This record gives sequence, C-alpha cells and structure tokens, in this order.
Amino acid sequence: MKPTERFKRRYISFSLLLSGKPPAYPEAKEIVHTHFLSFFGEAGISSLAFKLVKYDAPSGNGVLRCERSRVDEAILCMACLSGWKGSPARLEPLSTSGTIKRL
Amino acid sequence: MDIVCFGPIGNPNGAGQALPASSLPNFSSVPDGKQAKGACRKKNTLLHVASYEIDEGDLLELARAGGAIIFSLSDILSEQGFRRAILISKMRLLLAACRKRGASFVFCSLAKDAAHVRSARELTAFAAVLGATDVERKEAEKKIEELAKVGK
Repeated sequence: MKPTERFKRRYISFSLLLSGKPPAYPEAKEIVHTHFLSFFGEAGISSLAFKLVKYDAPSGNGVLRCERSRVDEAILCMACLSGWKGSPARLEPLSTSGTIKRL
Repeated sequence: MDIVCFGPIGNPNGAGQALPASSLPNFSSVPDGKQAKGACRKKNTLLHVASYEIDEGDLLELARAGGAIIFSLSDILSEQGFRRAILISKMRLLLAACRKRGASFVFCSLAKDAAHVRSARELTAFAAVLGATDVERKEAEKKIEELAKVGK
C-alpha cells in the first residue's frame, strides 16, 4: 500500500484515573476499548484507525492512536468518560502529536 | 473562560478562570424552548436551554438583544448511549440554526462538581464535533468573556 493510501495517524497521550488511582493494564484496556466502542460503534472504530498503543500502569499515562481528521472526536470521546462500573473515572487527553516520540 | 455550576475555582487545564453561573446575573437556564421566550428578549443573556430545542424566532430575538446560547458539555456527560447521541444531534441542529439566524453561541462545561470540569482542549474538541469552525470557536471565546464582564 502506498503511504498516501494509508490512514494519516495522530497519537494522543492521556492520563487515566479510576477512583483517583491509575488502574492496572487489563482494566485500563477494557475501559478504553469499551468506552470508544460505545461512543463510536463498530463502523466508527474501523474508520478511526484506533489503537491503544501503550499504557504505563504505575503512572496511569498512556498513548492511543486515531485518524488525523478525527482527533477532535477522539478527544471528546475521552472527555465523555465520567464513570466506570459505578466508580468515578477520568480519561484526560494531555497532548497530540504525529509521532509517538514527540508526545 | 469556562462557566460552572458550583463555587469559584481556578481551571488548571483551561485558558482562564472558571466562573460560577450564580455570579452572573445575565445567566439563565431553562428546561425547554417555551420557557426561553422571556429570557431571549433580555439584553446580553447567556441562555442555557436544557432540551436544545428553541424556536428560530426566539433565536432572532436573542441575536437582536446581543445574547448567546450556551452549549454545555456536562449535558452530554450526564447522558449515556442513544440518549447522548440524540442530544449531540439536537446540539448540532441548534448550532446550525444559531448560525442561520445570526445568534451568538458559547461553549462551556457548566460542571456541577469538580469532577465534571473539562480542559480548554476538551471544550475545543466539543465545539469542533458540533460543527463550529475555528473562527466561530474563537468568536465564542470572545463572546463568553464579553458577556461575563457585562454580567459582573
């Protein structure tokens, strides 16, 4: 595939807190995937080029990937997370970049 | 600048201070468009209509009086699933109606507690998803500061 035909990607760094504490990796992955799937739906996720790139459980910081033209939708989706299974949760976007290195 | 529905706080992630709605005498919140008629005629009103359904005639009145419609992020946060989708759709339609009738609009969190306060970047994304252009978003930021000064 030509580079011009690929998805143009953006990386968004975030901080995830569940009841004031960063959750473990499996739980964080479940929260992010379930919340994005609920917000965008299956067809939306497929065109979003979404991926949880990395997550550091001790700090609660991570990086996710999305399509360049849909960064605002991804950030709004993150802002819309206010609770998870009855506990307060916050998925706060920190910065956006075209490369993981520059985040 | 952001408007919240609880005590005065500094917004650490935002562009400026978060003002409590109770400190703004020109702030008005109504559940639906029928009750918005009176508020639309008042000068420099910051009007929050919880149903996001308002007559275009009232929008014209609001535009003449120099007021603005508030789009609140906390309204989206309090809904889930299909109801949230319907609310975003209503907000998009109302923003298009505001643009057509020349009424101003502003974006804020109207957070009921500290957990619902959102950063300036998140409010920008909220405006972009509703269909506001960069120019409109900057005008909205100016408008909210102008109306907050008038209200003080």
